Amino acid sequence: MIRVRLLLTAGLLMSTSPAWAQQGDADTAEVAVNGNVAPLCVLGSPSPAAVDLGQMVATSGTRIGRIAVLPNHVVNLPGSFCNFAGSAIDISVSALIASDASTLQPGFARAVNYTASIDNWSSTTTSATSAATKEGGSPTATATGDTQPLPKIADLAATLSNFTVPSDLLLVAGSYQGMVVITLGPAAGGGS
Amino acid sequence: MRNLLWLVGLPIVAIATPVSAQVTGTVDIDGSVADRCLFTTDNAVISVGELSLAGTGATAGKLDVSKLDGQTRTLVGWCNGTAATMEVEALPLLNTDFVGAAPTGFDTRIDYTATADANALSGNDTSLVAGKGSAIAVGLFSGDIDVTLSASSSPTNGLLVAGSYAGQVIVTLTPNISFGAP
Repeated sequence: MIRVRLLLTAGLLMSTSPAWAQQGDADTAEVAVNGNVAPLCVLGSPSPAAVDLGQMVATSGTRIGRIAVLPNHVVNLPGSFCNFAGSAIDISVSALIASDASTLQPGFARAVNYTASIDNWSSTTTSATSAATKEGGSPTATATGDTQPLPKIADLAATLSNFTVPSDLLLVAGSYQGMVVITLGPAAGGGS
Repeated sequence: MRNLLWLVGLPIVAIATPVSAQVTGTVDIDGSVADRCLFTTDNAVISVGELSLAGTGATAGKLDVSKLDGQTRTLVGWCNGTAATMEVEALPLLNTDFVGAAPTGFDTRIDYTATADANALSGNDTSLVAGKGSAIAVGLFSGDIDVTLSASSSPTNGLLVAGSYAGQVIVTLTPNISFGAP
């Protein structure tokens, strides 16, 4: 009879602690998973890759031999992006300079200046205008746009416009070549 | 004849006397072992470095799934009861540096599936759905719990915002109560 009573008591103790009985000593373990993504900017491939202005001077009329009214040219850079906050776009334009390096005669110039601008990266348009001398000196100008505060992906469009010749002089004959360099990167004191 | 009867009756008297002199006492001994689970190696780290694809093509800057998929780490533990269960919870990798919603075209989260193998049984969970995966009855075992990652993805397959990413796999062993089942 004593044995029976003891067994009943033990049963009651277990039933009053259901949480302990159900859970016992559970245990957890953790596997930490981590990685990183480096700050990255990518410019889409320019289309067209080269801009041919064709004949740049008027071939008749009162402005014959002087710069003609040239249409704007747009170069697309689709899918350009920076994956971090605080980026900016830099534009460097180099005037078109004639390949003819002979001594420049009075009344002539061998440089064509122009403006390159991009308006869809930051809140304001970024533009740079070259200011080469008639001899082709100091052909390069640069500009840095405002800071883009967020990661951004966009189809950039660089517009080349405002083609002019120093003092509106006559252009020497020959082929001319210039260059626009567009750079996406962290803003000074901005991104990482 | 009278002598014979006396010899037969004597043994009966001799047997009756010892029975009445012996008594027996007993001491019962009992104890118990509670159902229990324990990790003896309870943490590991999967550190994969750069998570995005390199290059300048259409996939540049997007998740490189090869970095996470197939990653395996081994935990060690045991459960001493036949009713023990295992649960896995996968927590997504989140960008710990960027604040705010990801801009259009970008992601700041990486999801994956975590699978834990113990006692020749598998439990898994995807971080795409909050909470733990289903409990798996692993029973009584002692040994490795291999945790493997797979099916990594980002919400929009977009560009990953730069920064550090951190996630976690939590494996829980619960003993429950076995009541001495075989």
